[in-house]
Amino acid sequence: MRRRQEHMQFLDLFKLAYKALVDRKVRSALTILGITVGSAIILALIASSSGLSAGITSNIEKTGANVLTIRNAGGFFQSGSTNTYQLSQLDVDYLKTIPGVTAAYPYYSYGASINSGGTSLQASVVGMDLSALPVLYKGLTVAEGYLPLAGDVTSAVIGWGIANPVSGTPIDLHQMVSMSVTGIKGSKATVSYAVLANAILSQYGTALFSNIDDTVYISFQAAQFLAKTPYFSGIYVIVDNTDDVANVQNAIETYYSDNVRVISSGQILSSIQSITGQLTVFLGSIGAVSLFVATVGIVNTMYVSVMERTREIGILKAIGYRPRQIMFMFLSEAALTGVIGGFCGLLLGYVLSFLMGGMFSGLGGEGRGFFGGGGGTIQPVFSTELIIFSLVFPVILATVAGLYPAWRASRMNAVVALKYE
Amino acid sequence: MIAVQARSVPAVETIDVTKTYRVGHMSYPALKGISMKIAKGEFVSIMGPSGSGKSTLLNLVGALDPPTSGKVIIDGIDLRKLNEDKLSILRNRKLGFVYQAFNLIQRLTALENVAMPLIARGIPEKNRRDRSLSTLKAVGLLRFANKRPIELSGGEQQRVAIARALVTNPALIIADEPTGNLDSKTTSELVDQFVQVNEQFGTTILVVTHNSEIAERTQRIISLRDGLIEKEQYLKRIDSYPNKAIK
Repeated sequence: MRRRQEHMQFLDLFKLAYKALVDRKVRSALTILGITVGSAIILALIASSSGLSAGITSNIEKTGANVLTIRNAGGFFQSGSTNTYQLSQLDVDYLKTIPGVTAAYPYYSYGASINSGGTSLQASVVGMDLSALPVLYKGLTVAEGYLPLAGDVTSAVIGWGIANPVSGTPIDLHQMVSMSVTGIKGSKATVSYAVLANAILSQYGTALFSNIDDTVYISFQAAQFLAKTPYFSGIYVIVDNTDDVANVQNAIETYYSDNVRVISSGQILSSIQSITGQLTVFLGSIGAVSLFVATVGIVNTMYVSVMERTREIGILKAIGYRPRQIMFMFLSEAALTGVIGGFCGLLLGYVLSFLMGGMFSGLGGEGRGFFGGGGGTIQPVFSTELIIFSLVFPVILATVAGLYPAWRASRMNAVVALKYE
Repeated sequence: MIAVQARSVPAVETIDVTKTYRVGHMSYPALKGISMKIAKGEFVSIMGPSGSGKSTLLNLVGALDPPTSGKVIIDGIDLRKLNEDKLSILRNRKLGFVYQAFNLIQRLTALENVAMPLIARGIPEKNRRDRSLSTLKAVGLLRFANKRPIELSGGEQQRVAIARALVTNPALIIADEPTGNLDSKTTSELVDQFVQVNEQFGTTILVVTHNSEIAERTQRIISLRDGLIEKEQYLKRIDSYPNKAIK
């Protein structure tokens, strides 16, 4: 019964604190604004950078963590290489002997311009064992048609973006696609080639370094014929188990020394996650600084409020309010500032994070962006933890900020307080 | 029998109370040894020139300030034995204060101001409201229950303050120059109010005043000078008090 009475009493004290807060509307609103902005900035920055991280991660994760890409050391970004070491069938045979390796798919990769109904589109042409496509890219499906059989040099698999260009005529299934292929093994010559669109891929987006949607896949034999060289642009190595990836990578790097570069999507993912993690912490701390400034604002407001209400505190003491009741009243005021500020901050932060999405666009997000060219708006990520944090943290800060002023109020000498003008 | 026992405990008793203020190395004795008893139901005034120690005595009796030496006993309770929390509870349950400056909380309505001491005591809202309304009715301000102090005249504000002091049914109401800010007509009405409270509820009232007209309407005048009781003057025979003090 007594306990219930105490609960009731604290509720009444809380109501009194609310009235005091409402009584000084402008000042309370300004203090709350400080908290709102601080908390909104933290929320928006963290949600956007988490969104950025999630966007990049999803791009990279499309390439299975059990896939390693082998390229010669000089030819990391461009097709063809001036490096003396060239990857050939011997390397494919060797790679297959490494324990844990289940398959090795050599590929050729060139730049090309596709002529489609008079419009020219920039694309990549990749020649490889086309049956390996679903193995390399998780969730990649054929929207129309079927994957050509091995050795079918006249058929091609068309990426969704090539088949459905932003401007120009769409490419239909079984339509003839003519292309001008450039940059074959360092040569400046352009080779024209025509294939039939045997399959059109579903919309997929970017996976690691390749934009699947803007790629035309042809058979390995056709690509080799075009390149007129037995040396590949690279080799995809499939490892049976993700736990073995590191061992296989070590084995390859040891064997080839600096002659080849091994790219592991898992490794890239972890280093990018570490970068975006640091970015999140960095951006979050910018928000934290603004929230800290807002907290100092609360200390100031509460302190001034206690000074202004010295006489009122004297009255409360005279009519029998205990020190802890007075302390609770002032702490409630501070906490309430945090509650309202946190809630408004959540709403403002939500809106702000979508605006910030634009700021980060081009770095990552919805399929395009990051390594894959193009650019899109990133989708902010609001985790439950982030939402709870952005509601609770301002309350904690505000309450801590109110501690000293509230303590001072509770310790005031009643006689002196009552004389205060 | 019970009534006799209850009456035997004075509402206020001070035993050789002194209060010395220290500023740096200087000492200023405000009270130099005050011993007095105020019976339950008594209406007493304290008079004296400025600096005679009236307000200091009121602060000691009001449990707001401890004496330098001596004892203050309120309704049989020795204040020296109480800590800060218990002193607060004692002020809440046994004492009511009325000040010259009214000391109402401006953002609250008359009703809310009156209910303030009941919140500190943890009385539920419904009960609080009923008690506050009936106390406001007793001081004739029921129709102003939802007005804020700024909307009320000085006399009305002071009556709200009396209602706030009265709502906890205290053993003693302490009034420090309650009419200091009021004109003579309102002063007279307010003194009527105090007399009515004293007679109707049997509440013990201790009032500090400069105004001899007010003092003359109380039952006893204690005159202070230089921190000592100069004289005491009984205006009515003590056994003529109403027995309503025993509740």
